[in-house]
Amino acid sequence: MMVRTEELEVGYGRRSVVRDVNLELSRGQFIGLLGPNGCGKSTILKTLIRLLAPLRGAVFLDGRELERISRKELSRRVSAVLTEQPSPGLLTAFDVAAMGRYPYTGRLGRIEGEHIRKTWEALKMVGAADLAGRYFHELSDGEKQKVLLARALAQEPELVVLDEPTSHLDPRYRLEVMLILRRLVREKGLTIIASLHEIDLAMKACDTVVLIKGGRIIACGPPEEILKEETAAELYDFRRARFSSLLGGVELGEESGGSIFIVAGSGSGARLYRALTKHGFGISTGILPENDVDFHIAQALRIDIVAEKPYNGISEEACLRALQEVRRASQVVDAGFPVGEANCRNVELIREALRMGKVTYSLRKEEEGEGLWGPLAPRLVYCEGLSSLLRRLREVECLRREG
Amino acid sequence: MRVPQMAEAVEREIFLRRRWARWQFVLASFLGAAVLSLMLNVSLGSVHIPFSDLWKIIFGKEAGRGIFGAVIWNIRLPRALAASLSGSALAAGGLLLQNFFRNPIVGPYVLGISSGATVMVALALLGGYSLGMTSIHPAFLSLAALIGALGVMMVILAVAAKVRDIVSLLVIGLMVGYIASAISSFLIAFAEKEEVHKFVLWTLGSFSGFRWKEVRVLAAAIPLLVFLSFFLSKPLNAFLLGEDYARTIGVRVKAFRYLIILITSALVGLVTAFTGPVAFIGLAVPHMARLSLGTSDSRVLLPGAAILGAAVTGLCDLLARTAFSPVEIPVSATTSLFGAPIVIALLLRRRAAI
Repeated sequence: MMVRTEELEVGYGRRSVVRDVNLELSRGQFIGLLGPNGCGKSTILKTLIRLLAPLRGAVFLDGRELERISRKELSRRVSAVLTEQPSPGLLTAFDVAAMGRYPYTGRLGRIEGEHIRKTWEALKMVGAADLAGRYFHELSDGEKQKVLLARALAQEPELVVLDEPTSHLDPRYRLEVMLILRRLVREKGLTIIASLHEIDLAMKACDTVVLIKGGRIIACGPPEEILKEETAAELYDFRRARFSSLLGGVELGEESGGSIFIVAGSGSGARLYRALTKHGFGISTGILPENDVDFHIAQALRIDIVAEKPYNGISEEACLRALQEVRRASQVVDAGFPVGEANCRNVELIREALRMGKVTYSLRKEEEGEGLWGPLAPRLVYCEGLSSLLRRLREVECLRREG
Repeated sequence: MRVPQMAEAVEREIFLRRRWARWQFVLASFLGAAVLSLMLNVSLGSVHIPFSDLWKIIFGKEAGRGIFGAVIWNIRLPRALAASLSGSALAAGGLLLQNFFRNPIVGPYVLGISSGATVMVALALLGGYSLGMTSIHPAFLSLAALIGALGVMMVILAVAAKVRDIVSLLVIGLMVGYIASAISSFLIAFAEKEEVHKFVLWTLGSFSGFRWKEVRVLAAAIPLLVFLSFFLSKPLNAFLLGEDYARTIGVRVKAFRYLIILITSALVGLVTAFTGPVAFIGLAVPHMARLSLGTSDSRVLLPGAAILGAAVTGLCDLLARTAFSPVEIPVSATTSLFGAPIVIALLLRRRAAI
């Protein structure tokens, strides 16, 4: 066991932020702290690196109480990347990374020989070696973060503590930083404790997640076990948005009854669902087997689904339900799903819609539509892409509202 | 595999070496400027003494003899040395505090050290009259200033033990400064016109009338203090990343805090006691040195700032002394007037962040 806390209470001065922190975190793991802003993630991390003294209880590093370890020893074993981005004046990225050698250098902190080599290694490890000669203040946020990470590695720690390493980074750097961290755990056997904001990243990168809310730890364990829809919703008080553990992502859902029915499947619906919910259309969809990717996305988006058990094709009963939805809908969309034996009833469904005289859009090519629906095919409104579909839907919706 | 690795190793060596070469060059230029300023200061004035005679007069057999000898030995040399030493002290003090507070507009006076000195001098100059003192010995003024500086230093040290973050320390220093200037204003309101004039001139700083006795004090203390602060380079550099990072890499912040306060107070207090507050040097010279060297690394920057401080202060004093001769303008006027545009130009040219 690497880090253990016992009845730890953390906070500032007399103000307690998180109580009853009892954690046992083992070596060689990526541990993520999750929770809403202000829940105390940073406070816990600052206590772990001894920037804050515990209000009660204690932190143990390999069985020794943190307060009993000298600053020097601690700095050789634990390094940190903090939230505040330093502005060190005219220091190059190399100088900043070399600062990690502080616990090892002599009285004047001369960087020579082995220190140069180790600093360079650390820079290379995070892919920042080409930045070495540039001034730190000239780098982008993402590059700065990488250099700060290199600095933490140059300290040759066993444990790296990172306070929100991915906030204010663009998606590319966010992923890059997470990949680097993951690799450090796997290849170097480092232990990493980081506070994170993205449940999806935590889900995918962490070995252990710790959920913090309302001044307490509400759960701790492997993300696959404890990051369920309900826990995420509880953690962040999601109402509209939903976390899907299967997709490992958060969807911004709107609760709405459908006036547009989308016939989809095999991922053809995903983009449509997101775009239409984002623009506030009420939608429903079908007929989807429960193992279809469209099913999970639609569920996360809280879209009404006509669903079917997987692997059995589409039953009569589901078809009837879908027909009812089509009847209720003002417009129907064919998402351009791939057609096969299991879902040929979806093709039938569109035929019915056309017979009923519903305005039906299709994202297929005209020739393909002809092949599927023969003489009825010209009744379809073919759209070249998502944007033209959206425009048409909006026009009709406006007319409907006025008339 | 071996060849690219070697190329890489060579490349990184080159990067570090080229930088070192640049530093050496810039430091050598600073040193040249400091020596030149010292020589000009001794040579120029109401009596012009050619460079060729300087060596003979200072180091030759005839040292100190004749009119030139007297001018140089009794007036110009002590003054020039005092200006150089004070300049070093102020620049080093300013740099230490800029680093410590991670704030570029901080000067050596922000801790309120000079304000304390000023209050005591105000008491001596302005209050002394009402207490029945007719004339005030310059040594008494220095003593008063020193006591004021030390008094404030004690207060700041006591505060430093209590506050957690450094910014509070900065604000408290500023507040002490306000209180001190309020007391001075109060004293000015009740003082005689002539005394006020004297006091105002003192607050503008001057190197005139330096005697060897005083120079010896500066010459003993300032190099020692600058040398000591050079040995703080390592934690000073760590502080560039901010106090929290410094803690996590093992800097003993409390102890470091005391050391910085003690050293800068001593540097600034000493200079202020003998010359009055000399504006601008402590604020601007660190920037000039930083921008010319292109680094904030204290191991290079601290010696650089100290040497450049000597050069710049020497030249400014020369200007103050000779520009409108026989009237001498306050040295603070020349330092600000000629120093500020230089800093602005350097900043614009390099688009550098401080």
